This record gives sequence, structure tokens and C-alpha cells, in this order.
Amino acid sequence: MKTSRRRRYTEWLVTLPSLAWLVVLFVLPTLIVFAIAFKPANPYGGIGAGWTWSTLASLGNPNYPAIIWRTLWISTTTTVLCLLLGIPMAYFMAQLPPRRRQVFLLLVIIPFWTSFLVRIFAWKVLLHPDGLIKQALVALHLVDADASLLYNAGAVLLVMVYTYLPFAVLPIYAAAEKFEFALIEAARDLGASSWKAFRSIFLPGIRRGILTAFLMVFIPALGAYVIPDIVGGPHSEMIGNKIAQRTFVDRNLPHASALSVILTLAVLAPLTAGMLMQRKKDRHAVLHQEGL
Amino acid sequence: MKKMKWIGIMGCVAAALLGGCSKSKPVLHVYNWADYIKPELVEQFEAQEQCRVVIDTFDSNESMYAKLKAGATGYDVIFPSSYMAKIMNDQDMLLPINPAALPNLKNLDPAYLDLAMDRAMAYSVPYMLSITGIGYLTDRLPDFEASWTMFNDPAVKGACTLLNDMRETIGAGLKARGYSLNSTSEAELAEARDQVIEWKRNIAKFENEQYKNGLASEEFILVHGYSGDILQVQEENENIDFAIPREGTSITFDDMVIPRDARNVALAHKFINYLHDPEVAAENTEYISYLCPNKASYAYLSEETRENPILFPPEEVVANLEVVADLGEENAKYTKVWDQIKAAE
Repeated sequence: MKTSRRRRYTEWLVTLPSLAWLVVLFVLPTLIVFAIAFKPANPYGGIGAGWTWSTLASLGNPNYPAIIWRTLWISTTTTVLCLLLGIPMAYFMAQLPPRRRQVFLLLVIIPFWTSFLVRIFAWKVLLHPDGLIKQALVALHLVDADASLLYNAGAVLLVMVYTYLPFAVLPIYAAAEKFEFALIEAARDLGASSWKAFRSIFLPGIRRGILTAFLMVFIPALGAYVIPDIVGGPHSEMIGNKIAQRTFVDRNLPHASALSVILTLAVLAPLTAGMLMQRKKDRHAVLHQEGL
Repeated sequence: MKKMKWIGIMGCVAAALLGGCSKSKPVLHVYNWADYIKPELVEQFEAQEQCRVVIDTFDSNESMYAKLKAGATGYDVIFPSSYMAKIMNDQDMLLPINPAALPNLKNLDPAYLDLAMDRAMAYSVPYMLSITGIGYLTDRLPDFEASWTMFNDPAVKGACTLLNDMRETIGAGLKARGYSLNSTSEAELAEARDQVIEWKRNIAKFENEQYKNGLASEEFILVHGYSGDILQVQEENENIDFAIPREGTSITFDDMVIPRDARNVALAHKFINYLHDPEVAAENTEYISYLCPNKASYAYLSEETRENPILFPPEEVVANLEVVADLGEENAKYTKVWDQIKAAE
């Protein structure tokens, strides 16, 4: 009893720095943002006195659903595409001999050596009407000479997938690296097709990695702002752009905060649901093991 | 190992550079628009005053203001447009200008000073004038007309941009319908909104900065932009020209102001005075292609510049120009219309 209490104590002590970090740099600012959402705005960018519901009520504004819907579908599609590309990549990489594995890992990481912004501008050059990709597609009669590859939702999606793909590959790879590939062989020996072995043995085995990848892509994608701003067109505005407009152009911090609240809740709700479900499952598994 | 060595060398170089510069020279922190001052003039000022000038840039008045409001400090001279300078002054964010420290103020052009908001130059000194208009590629648009209706032209579909600036773009819509760009009438604003939504269906994107490069690289054929920006890229692509729409448009004063928390007020005054030295102002105008409203400097401009109808527009064009005013509470009407424009399909 005593030792377990002491262990608890040291556990707390060890997590204290990261906990303090989280509280000071994440929880408090988020609470402040929540609080500002209930404050009135003044036209000079200040925050008025007293409290109001009107900002939150104004989110019923008919201009929002289109943007929220667009943000959701672009982020979801980005996440799905990143997972669809990331899982086979990780599956392949994890089975390579260690030396070649390092090379491939390096190739995934190399883009981070260049500024994120420079890489987005590079896409602008590639997709430029006189750029390589456009010229090639026109030569192959795949696109019209007048069609623009930039400034539409497709361009936003392409650059988002490009940007977030490493964030999907790395956690899935980390999980796949620990996966015991002999299990797949065993499944094959027992008569499973390779697809069935991949689906019923490999995928559940790297479940945690996939979940992490999902969160690492979906959450930043929801708040994307720079990518739709640079390669997006007049019809590809996302919530992030709206928040920027409220903050800078409209000088309306309460409004920007209210939108951020929506974004935070949109992230927290599925996360909490997922955690609760996981906990229920774990408890169920424990009960099962104890024969109850 | 080799890598470590490189890191070591780079570290030494960085330390040497930083160390070399920070030797107790006074530092002037400037917050300006991008490409908005001739770099050699800054170097000349540094040599003359034995100081170092650090320039940060912003891309819109609003983002600059929001950053200051959010607590950014340490700037000595800021270059807001006049309506923003007025807001900053109303918010008690500026120091008064000391005319005794600025002998060159006598050089300012009274014709333009009449249009300014702060005619007495109590808190701001005009720096440059810019006219918002249309930049286009002459070879791609043989039937170009100096009119806002060009943004409806099917010939520029998907290859034109409007400014991502609420006041400029709604202002263009208002002007296209024959109204003042400071209108607060709901009916007029609704008409302007429908006009801009019509244009929106034809444009590639709303863009504040990259339209210059887009025009120079012929990605865009027609852009809504500032006179000096377009004249600057004209040097890269001969086919570029700029037009002032006949329905009228906006003229903007960009001013120099000294924020209340400036650390080097005396040096800030010297910098402002330096930029209004006739020869310096002329050199700056030639370089950035905006007009410094400094009458004494006109004599030092090249003949080509003096005859440029964009820098020195004829009187009937000037009569159609309007200065964007801050509307205070009424700004909310523009925000609402801008949201509707952004959400429209």
C-alpha cells in the first residue's frame, strides 16, 4: 500500500512539468478564448465590459453553414487520403531491411527541412498555367488549356494532403515497426488470403498508430488557414480564414473567439467520445478476462 | 562529425554578425509595407546617423493594427494609411509630431495635403500616395476599357483577382454603381454586394500581395491593385499597364506616425525628415513608383516620371478619386456585406 502511494507521488512529480506546460499554454488560453466569446466587441478592436450571448447567437448566421461544411469535408477527405496513402507506405517501410528503412524514413522527413510556406509556394509554381504539371496535363489532353489548376478546392485538398502526409506516415510507421510480421505469416499458413491477413491482423495491430495519425492530420486540417489562403480561390474559404478575417479585418475578437470555440468543440467532441468508447471496451475486456 | 563542424562554423558566423551589429549603435524599428522604401536610402540614413534600421513589414492596415492592439511594441515609425492613422490617434496610440524637428515639412504639396485627414500634421506626416485601380496585360486584352466592368468580361474568367480588402473591393462595387465608396446606405451597399458577387464568379481569387507576381508571370490577366505595385512589376513585364477606372476609385495616403511607446523618438523624427528631403523623396518615388507628395521633390524626378499620368493624373481624374474614411460603428455594415460576398456561390 505504502509503496503504491509513493509510486503515485513520483508519477505526479514526473508529470508535473508537462502538466504545468499544458495548463499554462493550453488550458488557460483556451478558457480565455471561451470567455472572450461571451464578451461584447467594440469597433476599435477592444473587448467591451459585461457579458453577452449575442455573439454566440449570431453564429446561426446563414453565411456560416457553407464554410463549416466545406471545412469539414476538406479536412475529412484530407485525413482519409492521408491514411489511405500512409498505411501502405508504413506497411512497406516496416518490412524493409533496417538500412533501407532509414533511407525511406529520411525521405519522409526531408520536406520538413524546408519552410512550410516555401513548399506551398513551390506548389504554386508547379501548378502555374505555364508550370510543368499544367503543361504536361495539357499535352496529354487531360485538362483544357484554359482550365486553372490553382484557386479551387481541389488545389487546397492536394496541398493539404501533401503537407499532412508525413504526420500520418510517421505514427503509423512507428506502430508498424513494432508489429510482429510473423503473425501475418501465421494467418497465411492458417489459410487467410493476404488481404484478409492485412485487414484482420495488420490493421488491428497498428490501431493506435492509425488513431494517432488520424488526430495528427484531422485536427490541424480543421484549423488550416495558410493553405486555403494561398492556393484556394474565392470559393474555398475555411473556418481558419474566417477567424483570421474576424481578428484582423473586422477587429472583432469575440466573434473570432466564438468561431474558435466551435472549432475546439468540433475537435474535442469526437476525441472525448472515442476515449469513452475505448475505456468502456477496456473495462469490458478486463471483465471478460476475469471470466465475468 | 562533419555536420557538427558546419554547425560550429555557422554559429561563429552568426555570433560575429550579431556581435558586430549590436555594438551600442542606436536602432530604429520601422513597421512598413513590403517593397515600400528604396533599400539604398535606408543604408544612406544608417551611415548618416550612425544607426541601424530594422524594418518589419505588414500586408494590411488591419493586421498591423491588430498586432499592435495585441501588445506588439518597440516600433519607432509606422506607415499606416491615413484612415488607420486616425483610428490609432483616436485610440491614443500615437505621439504628437514635433514640427520643429521636421524642417522638411515645408516641402509638402499643399494640393494633396488638402485631401489628407490630418491636414495640420499633428500626429501624422504623409509618406506616399497610391491610387487603387486595374492592372492588366495589354497584349492579352486588346479591347481593354478603363472601367470596373472589365471584371465581368468572360475574356478574363478565372484569370483575374480582386483585392482581399473589404473597403477597397466593396468600394469598387459602390463606385461601379456610381456611389461614394464611403456610403453607409444599406440599399447602396446591397447593390455593391450584388455587383461584387457577380465579379466573384469570374475571378481566380481575392488577393492582396501575390497579384503583382501573378500579373508579371502572366498567371493573371487583370488585377485589382495599387498603382505603385503595378508600375513596379511593369519593369519585369512590358505588357503590363495600369488604368484608373473612369467610374472613380480610391486614393490612399500612407502616413508616417510615431507610436506612443516608441523608444527612439528623436531618431524617428530624423527618419521622417530625411524621407522628405527633396532629393531623397524623388529617389524614393522613382524607385517604388508611388508618389511622395513632396512638391520640392518633383523637380528632381525624371521627365518620364513627371509625365506619367498615373503618378500625376489629370485634374478630371483626380476629381473622381475618394479617400477611404474610417466609419467607426458603421463598419459593421461592411463586415456584414463582406461576409455575404465571401459566402455567396
